[in-house]
Amino acid sequence: MELNFSKEDLQFRDEVRSWLENDYPKHVKAKQDNAEPLTRQDMVDYHKAVSAKGWMGYNWPVEYGGTGWTATQLYIFNKEFGLAGTPPLLAFGVSMVAPVIYTFGNEEQKAKYLPDILEFNTWWCQGYSEPGSGSDLASLKTKAVKTFDGKHYIINGAKTWTTLAQNADWIFCLTRTETTSIKQEGISFILIDMKTPGIEVKPIITIDGEHEVNSVFFTDVKVPVENLIGEEGKGWTYAKFLLAHERFGIASVGGSLRALNKLKEIASNLENTDLDKKITELEIDLNALEITELRMLSDLENGGQVGAESSILKIKGTEIQQRLTELMVESSGEHALLYPGPHGFGSNDKPSGPDYSADAVSKFLNMRKTSIYGGSNEIQKNIISKFVLGV
Amino acid sequence: MNLNFSEEQVMLKETIQKFCDNDYDFYKREEVIKSENDFDLNTWNLFAEQGWLSMPFSEDSGGFGMGPIELSILFEEFGKALVIEPYLSTVVLSGTLIDNSSYEHKKDIIERICSGSLHISLAYAEAKNSYNYNLPSTSLSSDLLLNGTKNLVLNGGNANKLVVSCIYNEELALVIVNADKDGISMNTFPTVDGQSCAEITFENVSINSEDVIGTGDNAITLLNNSISLATLCVSAEAVGCMSSCYLKTVAYTKEREQFGQPISNFQVLQHRMVDMFIESELCRSLLIKAMLEVDSGSDDMHKHVSGLKAQIGKSGKFSAQQAVQLHGGMGVSDELMIGHYLKKLIVIDALFGNTDHHLKKYAQ
Repeated sequence: MELNFSKEDLQFRDEVRSWLENDYPKHVKAKQDNAEPLTRQDMVDYHKAVSAKGWMGYNWPVEYGGTGWTATQLYIFNKEFGLAGTPPLLAFGVSMVAPVIYTFGNEEQKAKYLPDILEFNTWWCQGYSEPGSGSDLASLKTKAVKTFDGKHYIINGAKTWTTLAQNADWIFCLTRTETTSIKQEGISFILIDMKTPGIEVKPIITIDGEHEVNSVFFTDVKVPVENLIGEEGKGWTYAKFLLAHERFGIASVGGSLRALNKLKEIASNLENTDLDKKITELEIDLNALEITELRMLSDLENGGQVGAESSILKIKGTEIQQRLTELMVESSGEHALLYPGPHGFGSNDKPSGPDYSADAVSKFLNMRKTSIYGGSNEIQKNIISKFVLGV
Repeated sequence: MNLNFSEEQVMLKETIQKFCDNDYDFYKREEVIKSENDFDLNTWNLFAEQGWLSMPFSEDSGGFGMGPIELSILFEEFGKALVIEPYLSTVVLSGTLIDNSSYEHKKDIIERICSGSLHISLAYAEAKNSYNYNLPSTSLSSDLLLNGTKNLVLNGGNANKLVVSCIYNEELALVIVNADKDGISMNTFPTVDGQSCAEITFENVSINSEDVIGTGDNAITLLNNSISLATLCVSAEAVGCMSSCYLKTVAYTKEREQFGQPISNFQVLQHRMVDMFIESELCRSLLIKAMLEVDSGSDDMHKHVSGLKAQIGKSGKFSAQQAVQLHGGMGVSDELMIGHYLKKLIVIDALFGNTDHHLKKYAQ
């Protein structure tokens, strides 16, 4: 048994660190470090910089222009980016729709979509949840009906909680092409250009005051049949494949370590609190999570399989992220009642009190979503009890 | 033993409940928060007409002589409706402090509070003295010039007068001053729960000797009693929020269908809602104990308020977080009340000492 990284892995880690230090766009870093909001252009600059380094296809095979990294390298990459406090890389294009396209799409589709995803010329969003279909995603109702000439689908319905749809060029949607007795059948995976007539994006403002998610309405939206990925009616299989692809990184060990270190520094300057003990408990939790993730990596690297137990990463990872923001609120004391809104206080009339309290509550409120999205933590526990415990 | 409300108290509860249920609209509240105003003046005037602004003041000062029990009733209902009108700062924090002092002009001030025409804020907090309100760095010189900066002054931007804690002759003192007096400057900031507070700087503000309304032990008692009563009030408000959290969550889970059935059918959610109910009931029990202690003015009253507040911080966050979780995406949407209960309960935990702080105070 050997828990240390190999020499090659350590060299790789140093390369990632060096990029983060020298080539991570300075204007993005400055805003990120000062908790200022990023514009769409900032996000594009950041992703294009990652792309220029050749790291955009971090989980893709080499033949499609990906890095072909081992699971350990991917882990190191995620952790170092998190530790450096970079914005999370947008998963919708590169790690969600792209693996579905290169695994189930045809050659034309691969040629049409993959290069733009790799260069971040297109911004993707995910059309999964619907007002009536959350945890029970397979009950979705957005309809795709083929025209008589068989050349188009006409799409009608509504998607919701669509992250950053206001910025997106494309949306990948689960749609119902057939009503079947088994709801998982009859679902098809269709790519839709957001500029197509009949699409309306309406903001949903969340409790932290942010506009991050949206409702997306489809009224007689005409989409070429060429935009269907794989076979009609097999969309659910592709969606499940996509979820399996998403598990790593979801533990957010790097980002949580960074937040933990900041919290330790804050607590060392505070008197008369019980923060130290709480932070220590959290540090041990985070340690346990990291080693759990490494055990799964080790299985993968040694020819094994990782199954439903990877839901542990989602559950514990989000619990730790939430707890970190809770302790940040606690360390703000009475200053936690100040509300700067999503875009911070103006620069001229900042209130007195500790800097870190300015966005503590916003972050706390924002992190509530993590135990709800991507399959709520209750659903994750159902998955473990069904597929791991066998009950 | 009888732990039920008296007939008068039940009637009071019903009146306030009726107003909060029928006339205090959440969407109108949201509009007020987004507007230039920090609260709705018509609602405030209605509070005055109903006599609610007069509740805790002595009959000598023109009040109804009600105590912490009635205030708890009021605040519990305010919590359910997420009332933003600044009752806490004007009536509880400042009004009761002035009423308990031997200030010469107190009758005039209390009358104007009762009629709804006067807002007063208590400037008790400073950036550096976390929760230690008896040691301000704001000072009053021997020639009665006030200097220093107060922050988190609740409703400070709307206040006509301020009660300010300071050090005078090496002792704590409380002074009352008009908010528009020369030498006073302020910035206002929104709070997480849709209200506002101010950061106020005093630069050589001259104070009349009669406006020093308490010094030494008397000032400490006045300030601590006022803050304890306010802590009790926000705890009652939290109990209101918590009971709304579980009731609204039960209603939502019965209505929301997934997997072909109401999600309330799932045992894991049932037990979670039972936990929310239990936490809310336990907090209510501690609230009853604390309000009776404060009502009788017992030696242990501050301790029991601390015990209550420590529990409120923990249980309040638990209840609201679970309410959000069980509402799924809807829980984090700004449109529903659920997320706003979470914000309110975060603010309540932060105000006047969080759970950690009150655990220590209780253990002392």
